[in-house]
Amino acid sequence: MKHYDAVVIGAGNAGLTAATALQRGGSRTLLVERHNIPGGCATSFVRGNFEFEVALHQLSGLGTEEKPFVMRRFFEQLGVMDKVEFIQEHALYRLVVPGELDVTLPASWSGIRRLLQSMYPAESEAIERFMLVCEKVTLESFMTLPQASRANSEAMLRSMCPYYLQYGFRPAREVLDEFFADARLKNILATYWLYLGVAPSMLPFADLATMLYAYAVFKPWHIKGGSQAMSSALVESFLEAGGEVRFNCGVEQIHTADGRIRGVSLEGGERIACDAVVSNASPLITFNELLDLERPPAKIRQDFKSRRMGTSAFVIYLGLDCTPGELGVTSASSFIYETLDEEQIHARMGSLEPPLGGMLTCYNLEDPSAAPAGKSQVVLVCLQYGEVWKSVSPDRYAQTKYEFAEKLIAVIEKVYPKVRQYIEEVEVATPLTMMRYLNTPGGAIYGFQQSAQDSALLRERLDAVPGLYMAGAWTTMGGFQPTYMAGESTARAVLKQLKARKSEHV
Amino acid sequence: MSEQNALNLIAGYPEAAAAKLALEQNGSDFQEVRGEVGSTVVQLHPKRLALRVATIIEDTPSTRTLRLVAADGQALPPFQAGQYINLFVEIDGVHTARPYAISSSPVQRMHYDLTVKRARGGFVSHYLLDHVEVGQGFSSSGPMGTFHHNPLFHGDDLVFLAGGSGAAPARSILLNIFDRGLPQRLHMIYLNSHVDDVIFADELRELARRHEHFTLSEVISRPPAGYAGRSGRLNRSMLQELLGEIGNRMFYICGPTSFNDSCISLLGELGVARRRIRVEANGAPKAPDEQHGWPEGVSLDDEVQITVQGRGRFRSKVGEPLLNALERNGYFAENACRSGECSLCRVKLVAGSVFNPQEARLRTSDRDFGWIYSCVAFPTGDIEVLL
Ligand SMILES: Cc1cc2nc3c(=O)[nH]c(=O)nc-3n(C[C@H](O)[C@H](O)[C@H](O)COP(=O)(O)OP(=O)(O)OC[C@H]3O[C@@H](n4cnc5c(N)ncnc54)[C@H](O)[C@@H]3O)c2cc1C
Ligand code: FES
Repeated sequence: MKHYDAVVIGAGNAGLTAATALQRGGSRTLLVERHNIPGGCATSFVRGNFEFEVALHQLSGLGTEEKPFVMRRFFEQLGVMDKVEFIQEHALYRLVVPGELDVTLPASWSGIRRLLQSMYPAESEAIERFMLVCEKVTLESFMTLPQASRANSEAMLRSMCPYYLQYGFRPAREVLDEFFADARLKNILATYWLYLGVAPSMLPFADLATMLYAYAVFKPWHIKGGSQAMSSALVESFLEAGGEVRFNCGVEQIHTADGRIRGVSLEGGERIACDAVVSNASPLITFNELLDLERPPAKIRQDFKSRRMGTSAFVIYLGLDCTPGELGVTSASSFIYETLDEEQIHARMGSLEPPLGGMLTCYNLEDPSAAPAGKSQVVLVCLQYGEVWKSVSPDRYAQTKYEFAEKLIAVIEKVYPKVRQYIEEVEVATPLTMMRYLNTPGGAIYGFQQSAQDSALLRERLDAVPGLYMAGAWTTMGGFQPTYMAGESTARAVLKQLKARKSEHV
Repeated sequence: MSEQNALNLIAGYPEAAAAKLALEQNGSDFQEVRGEVGSTVVQLHPKRLALRVATIIEDTPSTRTLRLVAADGQALPPFQAGQYINLFVEIDGVHTARPYAISSSPVQRMHYDLTVKRARGGFVSHYLLDHVEVGQGFSSSGPMGTFHHNPLFHGDDLVFLAGGSGAAPARSILLNIFDRGLPQRLHMIYLNSHVDDVIFADELRELARRHEHFTLSEVISRPPAGYAGRSGRLNRSMLQELLGEIGNRMFYICGPTSFNDSCISLLGELGVARRRIRVEANGAPKAPDEQHGWPEGVSLDDEVQITVQGRGRFRSKVGEPLLNALERNGYFAENACRSGECSLCRVKLVAGSVFNPQEARLRTSDRDFGWIYSCVAFPTGDIEVLL
């Protein structure tokens, strides 16, 4: 039987950074992926002359070359900084509610302030204060909160995290109501809720504040060649360090003996021995299906009971035979609402009724290499919960998918009326598609639902089985930056434990 | 959490903790959805199907249809008319596979028909035509491929240009229209070399007689003496005459590579936008050395050595697609389209170089990091790969 120090199950963002950090940290690592290509969500596929980005709309945390932020160092340390190229987006987003509102926020903190103050002069002072609160809450949650919370110290919280104390866990809706009178201004500032699929009434204010501030200050980015390029670069770095990878190969069981991890069985029957397993697969699959225990440990089941299934996505990938200009696109990311009422938009995410909101990303507006000359790569998304799709019979699946796609296109068409007439390639992904490629219950793309109760500050690590580690969207916030970082920090914990075990044995 | 949790100072935190407790009271440990992902996905996209030959239909002297049913007698997964399955076979100890379009209607799911025409110099088609018997078992991929009607932009006015066995997906698309009573009209322009080689001839002619929305135009390129029907090569004027006004029709092309290429250029000359033309994949190119970028001085017959990292090495020919060479030497790589489209056969090129023909739909990052699609990769010298 082959033996490795660690086996990583799944080559999604967290699996890739975990495997790379483990191998580079000196632990012999096997990375196993069911699919034929690395990335999980962070992947691309080709149709005709187009290569479609599957999931990355805006990468956060990079900062500019002059003012770098955490992710530059991070990628540097994983050995991929010289293997990928980043492209900056110059606007945060355009929000359009036809007949009501049409505004484009620049990717600049002071620019946003100036724009909003000129649009809503009566609320000028509130805007000033609100933006200060966003900034402070973000900085505190990155810099001081982790320390204060580890120390469980009221004094530290009071002195080091005053803004977080006042606002952190309150619903975003409530905080916006406290600051502003104009409903549209609140819509503009809350727009990012649509990325997360958690309505402003349920979204912890800190999550919204962090997104807004971090994207504006550290800028939104794309990756040349798509997020697939980063996934492939991480595999390259992993292989260079001596790691071994298997694609088209699922893990079918995780073996324990005497209460700790001993190895895994692979699709096809081969058994591998190892001291640690990092699972990038959903903890629901990991504990309820892969682990060889009759029932998962009580602590894990307890944690699961307070979780709710997170959102999936319905996505239309469009290769258009026209330029972004001809389509009328002026910023890479647009959000389009049918109504100003976000709660209604959110409620629709659980049904097959026409969506009330959607987004459009045009990848070649800022990166001409993202589409053939004269053409456009455009992706339409509305987040959806997977539940309703499970009841669609296989016979009706294709038709249901096209019918729903028509409904989403109808929303987008109100702002970009030409989106339909230039179609050259189209692919539609439903929550069931996500389920197929990610192996996640409900086709979830961010793991569990990210309302306040999901926060890591209310949770303990799912570490009831020694040697088994979880890394991915399910045990941290979903999205690119959080999952990249979660994999690497999990690897650090594993390395520490492996080292401790080795010294025990000598 | 303990009672002296300092985080309770954070506004909203106690409420969130209480909400978490409340959820815990009526929540579940998700045991009830155990296995659900697998069982949901497998209904739509099984990785493998276990099939059995139920009937064999002799179509023409060079073609027969294998009617395949599920080994367990259940309904097969749904598919979109025009899609294919990849059929795995073992011939003389070699494990390989070939994709075949499903020629039956997607409306009935008790069987898939695969219509197999003898391919000159072929390996698998001979086996399927000469050695397969009723009752024999096969394994295949699930239905795959993007060569099907897409209601989001194809419209209802369709033209199918079929050459020889290209009639297989055309038949499925046609039956789907009739069986579901769809509003589409289809004009099938059907080319064959010889009169005795026309697959589904009687059935298609009968359907054309009965259905106003289906037009059949047959062309025989090598007619016997005194043949009264339309004959000769498909050229611009013949196509123009058959099509009339181009309008906003959607064109589907499926046949031998040379046929596909000539149809694309003829349609272009007639003013059809490239985005209104869909072409079915067609395996690895037979003459990669005629494509742009082929390295000078390398011939298809040159011998090369292929090393599979950590496992072994063997000799092969430049002109043999890497996947086939691997299979002939006892190695396996997952595959489905065998035409450079699905990327399932992706392997890493560790050393040496291969020619990636235009058929290879590589991702940008595959090129950058040396990943190749083995089904359409031609080793132009000694190489080492990682499976
Ligand atoms: C359409 C879409 C749009 C998105 N937009 C954004 C966005 O704009 N910004 C953003 O930040 N985030 C976005 N996300 C979310 C983000 O991509 C994810 O939250 C993140 O990539 C999840 O990473 P992960 O590490 O949890 O792994 P996942 O991507 O979930 O990958 C898990 C991997 O594990 C593999 N696996 C599972 N089970 C097994 C097994 N038994 N054996 C072997 N392998 C297994 C799977 O095949 C998969 O490759 C989007 C996602 C999607 C799908
Ligand atoms: S088998 Fe599909 S690309 Fe090779």
